[in-house]
Amino acid sequence: MDGQWLASPWLIPAAVGAGVVALGLLALMLATPVYKHIICAKYLFCGWKAVVPLVSALPAALGVFLLILVFAIMDGFVRETREMTRGTLSDIIVDAHMEGLPHYEELARRIEAIEGVEAASPVIQTYAVARVKPRLSSIKPLVRPCVIIGIRPGEKAEMGRFHEYLQRQRGSQYAAADLLNVPEAWHRGPRPARPGCIAGVGVIGAPMSSPVPETMREGAGRRVLAAFLAVPAALASLFVWRAGRRRQGRAGWTVATILCVVVFMALVAAASFMPVREVQITRPQVIDFPLLPYGGDLVVSTIPIRPSGALAMEAGGIPKVSSRAFTVVDRFKSGYWEADSSHVYVDFDVAQQMAGMDAQPAAEGKPAVPARTNQIQVRIADPSQAETLVRKIEDVWRDFGRERPEVGVLQLSINTWETQQRMILTVVEVERNITALMLGVMLLGFGVLIGLISYVMAYIKARDVGILKALGARDAGVGSLFLGYGFIIGVIGVTVGMTAALLMLANLDPIEVWVNRTLDIDVFPREMYYFDHIPQHTSPAWCVAIGAGVLALSTLASMAGGLLAALKQPVEALRYE
Amino acid sequence: MADTILQGVSLVKEYRMGASRLRVLRDVDVRVARGEFLCVLGPSGSGKSTLLHLLGLLDRPTEGRVVFEGQDAFARPKRWRDRMRNEAIGFVFQFYYLMPDLSVLANTLLPAMVRTPLAAWPAVRGGHRRRALEVLTDLGLSERVAHLPRELSGGERQRAALARALVHQPRILFADEPTGNLDSATGEEIMRVITRRTRRDGLTVVMVTHDQRVAEQADRILRLHDGKLLRGA
Ligand SMILES: Nc1ncnc2c1ncn2[C@@H]1O[C@H](COP(=O)(O)OP(=O)(O)OP(=O)(O)O)[C@@H](O)[C@H]1O
Ligand SMILES: [Mg+2]
Repeated sequence: MDGQWLASPWLIPAAVGAGVVALGLLALMLATPVYKHIICAKYLFCGWKAVVPLVSALPAALGVFLLILVFAIMDGFVRETREMTRGTLSDIIVDAHMEGLPHYEELARRIEAIEGVEAASPVIQTYAVARVKPRLSSIKPLVRPCVIIGIRPGEKAEMGRFHEYLQRQRGSQYAAADLLNVPEAWHRGPRPARPGCIAGVGVIGAPMSSPVPETMREGAGRRVLAAFLAVPAALASLFVWRAGRRRQGRAGWTVATILCVVVFMALVAAASFMPVREVQITRPQVIDFPLLPYGGDLVVSTIPIRPSGALAMEAGGIPKVSSRAFTVVDRFKSGYWEADSSHVYVDFDVAQQMAGMDAQPAAEGKPAVPARTNQIQVRIADPSQAETLVRKIEDVWRDFGRERPEVGVLQLSINTWETQQRMILTVVEVERNITALMLGVMLLGFGVLIGLISYVMAYIKARDVGILKALGARDAGVGSLFLGYGFIIGVIGVTVGMTAALLMLANLDPIEVWVNRTLDIDVFPREMYYFDHIPQHTSPAWCVAIGAGVLALSTLASMAGGLLAALKQPVEALRYE
Repeated sequence: MADTILQGVSLVKEYRMGASRLRVLRDVDVRVARGEFLCVLGPSGSGKSTLLHLLGLLDRPTEGRVVFEGQDAFARPKRWRDRMRNEAIGFVFQFYYLMPDLSVLANTLLPAMVRTPLAAWPAVRGGHRRRALEVLTDLGLSERVAHLPRELSGGERQRAALARALVHQPRILFADEPTGNLDSATGEEIMRVITRRTRRDGLTVVMVTHDQRVAEQADRILRLHDGKLLRGA
């Protein structure tokens, strides 16, 4: 993460930009008459009245806090969802749908010849029904819909993250080509009676809540809470101290000041030194309790589809069903429920046969039928080139179709994995964007509030405005005093809000556990989401944009007060009672 | 007449009160010579403060001109009037008008702080501070420099306001009843400071007062009645 920040090509322009802005601000400060600095400081930090401006920093702080926090979590969801769906797919999918594509080997070879394509592998994908017969006789057999995916294990293991998602054979000691082989120890004869399959955890398992051991950083949540409380404690100390200075001779104020400072120091000490220990806890999480052990039997049935698109029929006009028993050699868990609850990976040739897509020799006057596949999955070298390569594959397909007119009539859809999964991806993206939009609208409301506070401030300080103008301060000068005031309030708000949000994000899981335990509120039920941690992704660019935006908003909103002050005639302002 | 520093020519000031108009000053002509000590006398509500605001370039006359040091002040850009108020004019308001958040010393430094950018301040701060302390000591406020205006008595506030009006050595001082809230001893103290400035440094003073005895120290007295200047004083 940190390394990425440093490696970003934006780092140097961003640093230069920040430097220029800082220098500009410094120059502006130095060129500004002294009175504005002094009076601005007095307005901000002078006695009890300073509560008002600091309160007006709250909306800005809250806006920044929420926008960064919520966006980071939503963006985390988007990214993790992408990662999960991406992991189950290849970069580009050439889809011939259920009716199938003949001469796929040659097309795959031609696609592989395109520069930038690393591999192209045919895949059978057809709908089926799986029957799970648990070992425990007390549980009735389950029948579930599933998708048979016929793969060439050596090739498929190179696509997406297939290999990482296998529960048993995750490690690298398993050769990719042997992923579907039934281990010899499980053979009942010299050769296994049944081909192997890799079934999604959801297909052969029952989701259930179970205590799962977890490592937690205990104390981190308390640290953040202490840090949060230290801010009001610091303010309280400041105010009590100021108030005490004005009322000398009263021991009560001194005691109160010392108390506040002690509380503040205690909180700071707690925030920095409270021990954070790694502790083992157990929490209920969804696990897919396997109903079938490794080596168990899974019976999968499907209806073959003929090249014409018609269902294959038996002699009597009944749809032909092809059933096959497989030995479960592994379980597959990507975290993407759609895949985990339906995919059954079997060998390509077996699946092809079941789906009726294998080659038929010419017989009884019928011509020979070539073998077919549903998909060709393509792996590419550079994911950013996906769109370009999709177009190149389309060209290859057009030429291929021209050479073989019987193939050219087929409708292929050639898509990147993103387009293929557009539905689910856009849902989470739209959700994220709508949330950001709503928070942005809320921020506008906060802007109005900041403007109002600034206006009231300028109204209350009308006499000061009159005095300054009578002493020769320029209209724009007095106006910009209130703008600068709004800017500083914005800086305070953004600093507080951003620090709070980043602190919170850095300790999200411990805080969640802490809230869960102390308040007994399940913020993020692990049974509901398919994530074992709260996803988050903090984008520095977004943080900078939010910070700058809220700063600009706060400054802009202060125009209300600034304009009032600038337009006021001095005598009129002085008459204000 | 000798060198004229300030001249009000047919000054008219009207306030709009809904549909009707309230004419507070009617055709007032004033001429103030450099170094002169001029007093304006008149009953309450006769427009004395209003006249002072116009002459002090704080408020724009409805009709007529204010000529300050030979320049038609309201025909010139605002920036010029702002600079004149900051450098050439000192103003003591009837109700003091000190900045409540600033100490007496900071209030006295205010004209300099309005003029000086932050970058130049460290270099000149010492000099301004010294002058401010001098003026404050002169007015008997040396013990009060660190206090806030609300911690001062009315008379002390009046004197702090005078210190602020004198600290930048203006060429003309406008004072709206500077002795109004003072006992006679303190009032005389203030008058001594003002008259010394006129006699010794040639400061021009335009002062509004109720006090006949104060007025007697002036070179010339203008009587304002119902927004009109009475001749023959
Ligand atoms: N902004 C305003 N709107 C309406 N009327 C005003 C305004 N300012 C002043 N006046 C009126 O102008 C008149 C003159 O006011 P001004 O303050 O000049 O009187 P003054 O001679 O200084 O009185 P005093 O001796 O009581 O201070 C008053 O009647 C006052 O009500
Ligand atoms: Mg008056």
